Amino acid sequence: MTVPVTRKDLMIVNMGPHHPSMHGVLRLILTLDGEDVIDCEPILGYLHRGMEKIAENRTILQYLPYVTRWDYLATMFTEAITVNAPEKLENVQVPQRASYIRVIMLELSRIASHLLWLGPFMADIGAQTPFFYIFRERELIYNLFEAATGMRMMHNYFRIGGVAADLPYGWIEKCFDFCDYFLTGVVEYQKLITRNPIFLERVEGVGIIGGEEAVNWGLSGPMLRASGIQWDLRKVDNYECYNEFDWEIQWQKEGDSLARYLVRIGEMKESIKMIQQALEGIPGGPYENLEVRRFDRAKNSEWNDFAYRFISKKPSPNFELSKQELYARVEAPKGELGIYLIGDNSVFPWRWKIRPPGFINLQILPELVKRMKLADHDDIR
Amino acid sequence: MDNQFIFQYSWDILPKKWVHKMKRSEHGNRFYTNTDNLFPLLCFLKWHTYTRVQVLIDICGVDYPSRKRRFEVVYNLLSTRYNARIRVQTSADEVTRISSVVSLFPSAGWWEREVWDMFGLSFINHPDLRRILTDYGFEGHPLRKDFPLSGYVEVRYDDPEKRVVSEPIEMTQEFRYFDFASPWEQRSDG
Repeated sequence: MTVPVTRKDLMIVNMGPHHPSMHGVLRLILTLDGEDVIDCEPILGYLHRGMEKIAENRTILQYLPYVTRWDYLATMFTEAITVNAPEKLENVQVPQRASYIRVIMLELSRIASHLLWLGPFMADIGAQTPFFYIFRERELIYNLFEAATGMRMMHNYFRIGGVAADLPYGWIEKCFDFCDYFLTGVVEYQKLITRNPIFLERVEGVGIIGGEEAVNWGLSGPMLRASGIQWDLRKVDNYECYNEFDWEIQWQKEGDSLARYLVRIGEMKESIKMIQQALEGIPGGPYENLEVRRFDRAKNSEWNDFAYRFISKKPSPNFELSKQELYARVEAPKGELGIYLIGDNSVFPWRWKIRPPGFINLQILPELVKRMKLADHDDIR
Repeated sequence: MDNQFIFQYSWDILPKKWVHKMKRSEHGNRFYTNTDNLFPLLCFLKWHTYTRVQVLIDICGVDYPSRKRRFEVVYNLLSTRYNARIRVQTSADEVTRISSVVSLFPSAGWWEREVWDMFGLSFINHPDLRRILTDYGFEGHPLRKDFPLSGYVEVRYDDPEKRVVSEPIEMTQEFRYFDFASPWEQRSDG
């Protein structure tokens, strides 16, 4: 490394796969010169579960329970991308109501993920209390998810062509109450944290990433927007029904940890705005595109007739992927989550490549930690 | 729309030696190239004023065992200036060495390590080509189609030896293949 050192023997420390601060399994091998970090080498793979290989042997419907386990903080996004990819491949229309329900779920999931970023972030800096406060709000979101989908975290909710079940009666009012409560919660966090001089000392000017550098390293999400580049896939790509709401991209110019913090807090507030607009404007109608479930091998088959629709509850969906390739993407809270899907004229995909945002955003870590104090290398996220 | 502009422009202006096939579809426009011309093509796409694809989104390997050059490496690219996405695809077999694009796109470092780990394709000029996702001492390249889903070894902690050992896999249930073809659907005579 070309970083000048002050002593000859550098200490090599292993921050092993398990951490007491809920980072997930990540092994960092740090080369230290006293308190300064000279180099850092992340070693991954502890949570590699072979999801891509499993996807080649499962139909989309069978695969849906697996996808929430990719990113268990923001579970709806993984499901959304898993159904969006085949929908785009086969041009399946999603009813308007289903689209609104999906947007509400996605934005709630984004808030949940940013909350669980905030807790460990503050805990790494040294403030233990926000770690407990965020779980208050996250429990409320879990309750909403449980009422709608049946599971707190690993909901199997999205389907090709819509969602699995409609919102229960009274859910919308509960969600409105949550939005009002959460806005007061965010104000509380801002009062406690944002102008706190200790926090600002720790975080301002730490881990600066320039705009050009961020683009070169392929960053996306809040890390990119905090460096001055206004790139948000929800505005750029116009998927689901995000263009019907009135919201703005949150971005900052400096590119340090404080900027990333402000972008995420701003995103939480924008998400609440979007949820409120969606709840007010949600249309009636079907919540799933049942056409997808029909046997369309023979278009005018007698099995598709009116009389046979009532034989069983719903026929086993047999969604066949045609022989095309597609890259679908969503704006997950961590960045751009993408699926590169190659269909094969059968029910199993031929190649299902997951483009995880966290994998790529982590690659810049060795560049950023050079010459930083040991206590600061956790603040970068 | 901008999305089509940079694709059409590059197709018109690039020498046919570099891009020997192009396909344009609503699901994404792609160039097919061969491994020798891959690096200059990506260099052109990244730096030329009218294309400016500065973001490498993804490098993906695909295995088609029925083809002679069985692997295909797909580079997904994004231009934030023109809001356009382009895909560049090359095909390679087990011993072809592809030139690494780390000097152009630093984010390619880990992507190429993953392609090496999962498929066995090696890249020239990569600063650090080693395994990234599989276990220490893992043999084989998992995402190839001839590697079984359950793998060949299983690991367990061995108490007498006080360490983790790898043993050949022992499954009590055979692999069940769920195809869920509906009983009402006659595949043979519709």
